[in-house]
Amino acid sequence: MSDNTLRVSRKWQMTRLFHTIMRYPSGSVAFAFLLVFFAMALIGPWVAPYGPFETIYDKDEMPIRLAAPSAQHWLGTTNHGVDVFSQLLWGARIALVVGVLSALGSVLLGTLIGLLAGYFSGIVDEIIMRFTDIAYGIPFLPFALVVISIVQPSIGLIIILVIAFLWRTTARVIRSQVLTLRERPFVLAARAAGLSELAILFRHVAPNVLPLSFLYVAIGVQAGVMSEAALSFLGFGDPNVMSWGLMLNDAFRAGAMRSAWWWVLPPGICLSILVISTFMVTRAYEELVNPRLRKR
Amino acid sequence: MQGLRRYILRRLMTLVFVMWAILTLLFIVLKTLPGDPTAIFVDSNFAPEMIAAQRAAWGLDDPLLVQYGRYIWNMATFEFGQSFFQAVPVREIVFEKLLNTWAMVLPALVIAIVLGAVLGAMLGWRRGSRGEGTGVALLLALRSAPSFFVAILLLMLFAYQLRWLPSGGMVSLDNDGETFLARILTVDYLYHLILPGLVLLSREITTPALLLRSTMLEVRNSDFVDILRAKGLKERVVVTHAARNAMLPLVTDVAVSLALLFEGQVLLEIIFAWPGIGRELVTALNNLDYPIVQACFFLMALTILILNFIADLLYGLIDPRVTYT
Repeated sequence: MSDNTLRVSRKWQMTRLFHTIMRYPSGSVAFAFLLVFFAMALIGPWVAPYGPFETIYDKDEMPIRLAAPSAQHWLGTTNHGVDVFSQLLWGARIALVVGVLSALGSVLLGTLIGLLAGYFSGIVDEIIMRFTDIAYGIPFLPFALVVISIVQPSIGLIIILVIAFLWRTTARVIRSQVLTLRERPFVLAARAAGLSELAILFRHVAPNVLPLSFLYVAIGVQAGVMSEAALSFLGFGDPNVMSWGLMLNDAFRAGAMRSAWWWVLPPGICLSILVISTFMVTRAYEELVNPRLRKR
Repeated sequence: MQGLRRYILRRLMTLVFVMWAILTLLFIVLKTLPGDPTAIFVDSNFAPEMIAAQRAAWGLDDPLLVQYGRYIWNMATFEFGQSFFQAVPVREIVFEKLLNTWAMVLPALVIAIVLGAVLGAMLGWRRGSRGEGTGVALLLALRSAPSFFVAILLLMLFAYQLRWLPSGGMVSLDNDGETFLARILTVDYLYHLILPGLVLLSREITTPALLLRSTMLEVRNSDFVDILRAKGLKERVVVTHAARNAMLPLVTDVAVSLALLFEGQVLLEIIFAWPGIGRELVTALNNLDYPIVQACFFLMALTILILNFIADLLYGLIDPRVTYT
């Protein structure tokens, strides 16, 4: 019975989230774009006419370099004769994988740290908060550049680096939320009922901060996508994986900004739309979690 | 006042602690990660004795703890050593680059704050109008858009297609100003500043504009605005009074966003070939010039910490409701 009501309320919440997103024109457009990107990431590699690093030759065995968009190559080719449209499709998968994994990782870590710091105040809190101070002090991009220049660059390393920085915001917010939650009567009641501290923390306090954590998943996706793109653009990304940042890096170094707009614009526009869409959907969700933001 | 002094002291101690922690982290990263920075210098045909002699000269044979102590001391006294590639002290290179970065950031930021504040106040005052809706949507899009792609777009349009503006650099090659001031007090510098300045503006204008819009909404409904109106003041004067009260949170926000901006600076400086500290970091990394890498990283981290420190202080100084305990 109780299980059933829970399910109903959760379903109702999802509907409410959907309606909040759709209430804004920007929200519904953003949502539609996100669906398109997910489709690209899911089926892109099967739909892509060529490989992301595959040089295409013409009848005379010459690479088709810097061809303008045509029926064969919808978005033209690069200076190495690679099909831009195919690269774009492959890149969507990388962008979403990096975005989602780094967001989930950082929120998981941040929520855990925030829960522990907020619930067990005192020395635990003090130590954890000093680590948060340090995490806030390190400039992300310069630090990531230094690490990547020493170790072999890879997608996994980039995700780890993003997680190592992104947890700080979630941890701080969750901590302050837990600080108020642990004084509530239901925590006292649970303690009086004889539950262990860890059980109280994870079974009774944690579910109350989860909606807030999910907000940071959305924010984290954006940060993850942007970090990967920025690092790849600077030439510090994974050279074996085609991403939008890497496409922009290749185009920038080849001077395509002067001559081959079809090579520069698609990855940049996709990146911008993905990031802006995530941001818009995040805002709608934020309004749902934080009633103070609701339209007056 | 007693409380304020204690608060400042505590924040300063935190700053020193965090800086020390970051330097230690950098030391650990440079020491433990695979890849020996010195291996790049020493050619494989070098005799082993020569390599050993070089390592000794660099102090790489000393115990780790001694190396660590020396490293912290050198950083704390801004003694960055000699560049591997250019035969000049690192200090001479990096401080000039840091100034160059400020020469890009500061003018754009000042304009962004002023324009953003005015824009935000106007948007907040006209709440509910169609102009406000589009304005806010546009600001939000600009805020979340990747600014390095905005930079590429502007570059393609104004530098390569229309050829109105230079595609990069801080000054023209024939501008041989000896000192930093001689270089930036020229029209030439302003001409080079337009494009990167526009990119910075497009991003930095959003923070004050959105912030002032929302605070303006609150101030607009407060009693003193009604009193001003009842006194028969013109609407324009009333807006000015309201805006001044909505301005408070802006100050801290600016310092924080300036700190964030420093991180993104690397990308802009690469795209516009601006000889700033971010571009120097990437160049040094590609050259494996570790003394410069360390110095750049240290100065960037220090700048960000100091800006956040100032933000914290201002927050307390401006808003009398904040107490120090």
